[in-house]
Amino acid sequence: MTETTDAARTAGTAGGGAPAATAAAEPMVRVENVYKSFGRLRVLSGIDLQVRPGEVCVVLGPSGSGKSTLLRCINHLEKIDAGRIWVDGELIGYRQRGGKLHELRDKEVAAQRRSIGMVFQRFNLFPHMTALENVMEAPLCARLGTKAEIRERALALLRRVGLGDKVDTYPRQLSGGQQQRVAIARALAMQPKLMLFDEPTSALDPELVGEVLDVMKDLARDGMTMIVVTHEIGFAREVGDHLIFMDGGQVVEAGPPREVIAEPKHERTRAFLAKVL
Amino acid sequence: MAEAATTERARPEPITAVPVRHPWRWVAVAVLAVLVAMFVHMLVTNDNLHWSFMVDNMFRPPIIEGVRGTILLTISSMAVGLVLGLVVAVMRLSANPILRVVAWVYTWFFRAVPRLVLLVLCGNLGILWKRIEFGLPFDRQIGALFGVDDFTARFYGVDSLSLLSGFTAGLLGLALSEGAYMAEIIRAGIQSVDPGQSEAAAALGLSRGQALRRIVLPQAMRVIVPPTGNETIAMLKDTSLVAAVPITVELFYQLRAVGVRAFDPFPMLVAATIWYLFLTSILLVLQYFVERYFARGYGRTERARMRLREIAAETGGGGAA
Ligand SMILES: Nc1ncnc2c1ncn2[C@@H]1O[C@H](COP(=O)(O)OP(=O)(O)O)[C@@H](O)[C@H]1O
Ligand SMILES: [Mg+2]
Repeated sequence: MTETTDAARTAGTAGGGAPAATAAAEPMVRVENVYKSFGRLRVLSGIDLQVRPGEVCVVLGPSGSGKSTLLRCINHLEKIDAGRIWVDGELIGYRQRGGKLHELRDKEVAAQRRSIGMVFQRFNLFPHMTALENVMEAPLCARLGTKAEIRERALALLRRVGLGDKVDTYPRQLSGGQQQRVAIARALAMQPKLMLFDEPTSALDPELVGEVLDVMKDLARDGMTMIVVTHEIGFAREVGDHLIFMDGGQVVEAGPPREVIAEPKHERTRAFLAKVL
Repeated sequence: MAEAATTERARPEPITAVPVRHPWRWVAVAVLAVLVAMFVHMLVTNDNLHWSFMVDNMFRPPIIEGVRGTILLTISSMAVGLVLGLVVAVMRLSANPILRVVAWVYTWFFRAVPRLVLLVLCGNLGILWKRIEFGLPFDRQIGALFGVDDFTARFYGVDSLSLLSGFTAGLLGLALSEGAYMAEIIRAGIQSVDPGQSEAAAALGLSRGQALRRIVLPQAMRVIVPPTGNETIAMLKDTSLVAAVPITVELFYQLRAVGVRAFDPFPMLVAATIWYLFLTSILLVLQYFVERYFARGYGRTERARMRLREIAAETGGGGAA
């Protein structure tokens, strides 16, 4: 996005394919020693995390361990107290100039967020807009082309998540699974380099979980870089390239999902997995 | 087991109970019927009502002028009040404590002072200043600082008597007061929107202004529109207070003037009642359609809930009264 962009990475992300070719490149997400407190409650204490382009990072952890807060820090919905976060080589929320950090302006923060898609547990679709209008809204605001072009792309995205026939439906009239798929299409409309999922299936009835996970698997196959907070162990095992287990605002254990799930090294990981499996 | 038991038994015969009688309801209906009959009889037979005098006079040119003045004043005070209200509401929700305090003082002051007092006050502002001029603030003091006597930097000025008499004064008083009520209504509306909405907008890269304009306000409208309709109706009625400014191009003043001149005031008071009923009914119809527009995307139960809220707001009293 800025001067740090090199040709290899542009090809890797814009093309959306071949994560193996860019595996050696600089990480898409670099979280370094991040601290965050709400008043006197410390929620993140010294988080480190790296996600390479095209990788799917699964975040596990008990409720209140700071998973949502970590995701919200990555797109600067929350200000961190200490540490640094880079996405695609760009420092999030600040500009380093002459050894000093300067806060970014509202507009600059908004520009950074455009390359980071986020999907919420409660969908947060805009209820006064149809599915199509929901998907078109952000590209229209960012002027990513003419209205006709944006509309075409939005329609294609809705077809891709299997909702080509629900284009003119308001969120209220959609099932939870359909709403979440619209929300994913809405995030994809900004052509993000990174997608953050915060428990995307936790608010769904069990029979609707599969359709959302399928869309996410599809995205992963296409080479999207993703950080997914979830309790779906099957998904973690099947799709995840990397897994971290958080507890008390710290990364307790990290590694390849199959290994961590099969034989967790840490006692807290073991206790948690015993509960969700 | 229970199933087996029911199939063995015969289907019970349908209930034919004697319904509960409500004699007092019928007594109430009878009393009301008598009262209505008495009222209608009075309307028809009372000679002092002078129906023909009323009908002859309630559509005369000065009255129609008055109707236009009333409508113009209602629309313009509501428009200015709405803009003021939006600005004050956003200030109230700002992160800056000074903006918040200024907004709070504004709403406190203009909600505390009765509209009638405010209108008389605005009509008499000419006593404070002879002329109203726009230019560099504190120009005389700045001039004195640099040793220049009589330094002025003003590029536009008007006679305050011509500016602050009549329509402008009435508009000023009503709009300032309305701004305070609208600020509270808009603030409540904005706060009623799920914070997840601005969060989703922010995550999509919308700026704060875009999120407010395109995501939050349209949803807040569902909460803002019903009380705003009530405010508009209250405003229509409160324009009758501007006689105190004084403004004469206004419906109630004109009707009363006719009655007073003819030494026959009562028929024109009835005419005023009919005129206000008519104008208010138009507003009620408009309100219905505007509300329906902003309720799109919400189910029928949600709309019913909205109507309930509105009724609650109406019985809770509009801004003025
Ligand atoms: N805006 C906030 N203000 C105060 N406390 C918060 C806020 N957001 C989260 N918390 C607290 O931070 C802790 C971690 O929250 P969260 O990141 O949502 O956990 P998780 O997503 O892992 O369940 C919780 O104790 C929560 O109550
Ligand atoms: Mg959470």
